[in-house]
Amino acid sequence: MKDIAELALDVAVSSGASYADCRVVQRGVQALSVKDGSFAAVSSFEDEGVGIRVIVDGAWGFAGVDRLDSDSLGEAARTACRIARASSRLRRQAVRLAPCPVAVGEYRTPIGRDPFEVSLEEKMDLLIRADEAMASVEGVTTHEASLEFVREHRLFASSEGSVVEQVLVQSGGGMDATATSADDVQTRSFPNSFGRHQVCAGYEAIEGLDLAGSAPRIAAEAVALLSAPPCPTGRLTLILDGTQAALQVHESCGHPTELDRVRGDEAAYAGTSFLTPDLVGRFRYGSEQVTITADATTPGGLGTYGWDDEGVEAQRTVLVDRGLFRGYMSSRETAADYGWQSSGAMRAESWNRIPLIRMTNVNLEPGQSSLEEMIASTEHGVYLQTNRSWSIDDRRLNFQFGTQNGWEIRDGRPVRLVKNALYAGRTPEFWRSCDAVAGPSEWRVWGVVNCGKGQPSQLMHVGHGAAPCRFRGVAVTAAS
Amino acid sequence: MSLSAPDDLLALADGILERVGRDRAEVVVVEQEEGLTRFARNQIHQNVAERSRRFRLRLMGDEQVGVAEIRGDVDDLAGRLVAAAEAARRLSPPGDVTPLPRPDAGPDGPVAYSAATAACTPEWRADQVATVAAVSAMAGLEAFGALETSLTHTAVANSLGVRRHAESTAASLVCVTRGENGWGYADRHHHDAAGIDAEAMTAEAVETCGRNQGAVPIEPGVYPVVLSPYAVADLVGHLSDLGFSALAHQEHRSFMRAGEKLMSSLVSIADDASHPGGMPFPFDDEGVSTRCVSCIEEGVCRSFVHDSATALREDVPSTGHALPMPNTFGPWARHLVVSPGESSLEELIAGCDGGLYVTRLWYVRDVHPLRTVITGMTRDGTFLIESGRLGRPVRDLRFTQSIVDALAEVSGVGRERSIELDENERAMLVPALGIGRFAFTS
Repeated sequence: MKDIAELALDVAVSSGASYADCRVVQRGVQALSVKDGSFAAVSSFEDEGVGIRVIVDGAWGFAGVDRLDSDSLGEAARTACRIARASSRLRRQAVRLAPCPVAVGEYRTPIGRDPFEVSLEEKMDLLIRADEAMASVEGVTTHEASLEFVREHRLFASSEGSVVEQVLVQSGGGMDATATSADDVQTRSFPNSFGRHQVCAGYEAIEGLDLAGSAPRIAAEAVALLSAPPCPTGRLTLILDGTQAALQVHESCGHPTELDRVRGDEAAYAGTSFLTPDLVGRFRYGSEQVTITADATTPGGLGTYGWDDEGVEAQRTVLVDRGLFRGYMSSRETAADYGWQSSGAMRAESWNRIPLIRMTNVNLEPGQSSLEEMIASTEHGVYLQTNRSWSIDDRRLNFQFGTQNGWEIRDGRPVRLVKNALYAGRTPEFWRSCDAVAGPSEWRVWGVVNCGKGQPSQLMHVGHGAAPCRFRGVAVTAAS
Repeated sequence: MSLSAPDDLLALADGILERVGRDRAEVVVVEQEEGLTRFARNQIHQNVAERSRRFRLRLMGDEQVGVAEIRGDVDDLAGRLVAAAEAARRLSPPGDVTPLPRPDAGPDGPVAYSAATAACTPEWRADQVATVAAVSAMAGLEAFGALETSLTHTAVANSLGVRRHAESTAASLVCVTRGENGWGYADRHHHDAAGIDAEAMTAEAVETCGRNQGAVPIEPGVYPVVLSPYAVADLVGHLSDLGFSALAHQEHRSFMRAGEKLMSSLVSIADDASHPGGMPFPFDDEGVSTRCVSCIEEGVCRSFVHDSATALREDVPSTGHALPMPNTFGPWARHLVVSPGESSLEELIAGCDGGLYVTRLWYVRDVHPLRTVITGMTRDGTFLIESGRLGRPVRDLRFTQSIVDALAEVSGVGRERSIELDENERAMLVPALGIGRFAFTS
């Protein structure tokens, strides 16, 4: 891989690049799914290619190619330079990069059982048991369980002398049970919605999910939701489970603290941000209970690595400190605009995409409370679990989220299952209403596998550590 | 740009099938070159190109299926592909296996293809963006957006004799313009890059932006609206995903009730992959010819789109709407066409006094799938309609609205249509719509 990168860099520099970097990526994905006891699919995806990024005449160019012979690499490097020259026709200020130390090293995801060495029989048996356990519940219409494993071997090299090689492994799994009636459809997912829960870990992460053990409960909840009353309406106390708290953090803190959004780089697609730089250190984003960090060193997180896709070392950045807005996730280019150092958050979906500022693991740090304590001290509220719908405006202020499952709380006890819960608000008012976050024993790193950004579009896997948390006076209603 | 010749891609597919031997198998080869020039603040800030070729092998047994994909020019690609698919198939538990389709003699056309798009260069894209920037700067505005051009070769072959090939192109220019106190939006999509008038498109975004300065808040509530084609695309895309698929119907989660009138008689929606005004493409991911399916006809629910799996369950022919098989997602309508009406945009607006004109919807998500309730925001230009014309701009609003209920209240349909992309980058041909009631919730 190093030879491939060196060849590409040599051609780029000799073609006029003042800076060049190269990512050589080999990626393997294995996916298994079963559905309704009669559908089963096993698939594999092997991907290999090179992405070459250059600065020529003060502007960026990029070319990706899936052929690793010297002719193709040379052509791609020259194409990247040609593209940069075309960019320079419409560039008023030359690209500047914040300095970073030359990086040399290796990183491998710590794993127990290599998921690619676990037999397909063992994996399929796990899925079949989970699917059969869901099927055993009367009233379930469809049921599905799936697993996904990813191994990515990545080498980054730059014209500044950085060479880092990483092997990143992910394991993910999940299941959905759906129940239908003449006028309703209800789905319960476990451990998370949108297909699965995924982490940077080995097969031990899948074993720890106990899909078959949880399957009957999930299926029974889907059926029960059909006859459950709608979520009550009003300004209520709201308790979110860890999965929903993770998504709340993702949408309302992770995205607005991406510095490229602040610059307007994403204005035409993903949007901008209400967190402008003049607010750093001055703006009350949330209550004292709220501390949010971006941490590419969180064990097991989907956003955990050794170096980002610019060769900047993984690090922890405080975004919100006891409610006060403190900082951003950044790149070498965006950080240079403000005289900062990069926070090491540049990530590309694969070799064929440029790196963009993406979330690493954006974590709501654990607090002092517990779910039990939060419920016990709630007079009237709802406890919501597992995301069902999510929508937020392009500046990340006005949001509305819905969940699969809800429990109405009265006088400190969950009293009845409710369905179709929706809650809405504005980001800073919402986070300022947070009066409790559960502690470390209930804190867990969740994975989001469908974060979209960029043109052409890229999907990124990001992590969020979160625990159950409580908010006061939130507008809650039911979808109808 | 230049990719492999059609015969070369089919020959590669044939070579893999030969390697498979006597087993039943399907090979899909997709080769693509794309370039995208992105701009912000009237400057090019990202500029990319990619070339790739991807192979997919589906290996069939009587009760087992295995799938393997490779992207990249790896050693012994055919051997690795076959070995991986065989390993997957061997260890896949027995289940229902939908047979491979047989050849259906459909033509490999029409296809949205333009030699001009295939020949686009980074310099050409930069020149177009320079035009966008110049028009915006003349108006004192900043432009943000992207210009993308792509060339795709697709070949599908299976051991029962299916052999399909198509060469397609696409060009898209998207732009938001920013003033002191508001934004405007416009886009253009076409298979022919020469058919995209960057200057005219930017002028539209500039004009909207100019109107959208100093937006005022209004009370949420139920309003009559005129939705631009940009907004209609999101509505129609979500409606399709909530019910046009035969799998959704078979799993009892489609809103569609065949034969029942759920919407205004002014509303007709089909999936028509051969429509000359859209982005035509002749076959699906199984190589089955894509037929025109009338999903909503004058407000009445009609037909569903099928792949071979859903078709087998109902003993009907596939309509050619398969995604890569097998999958649990089901068939997908990819060429939605909304029938035009008789009204100009000005007439729709004039007939909506006291209502709102919505340029664009944003971050639309399903809230209650069976009732087709969606939520999202307006964006980049929402205006009061006052005295039958566009009036004061209003601050963006959140809506929570049943699509079916909204389409039941359609009061007028535009006669002009444009190709728009929804959030899944699916091209559809849509007009503007006048809708009598649309609920804004915050």
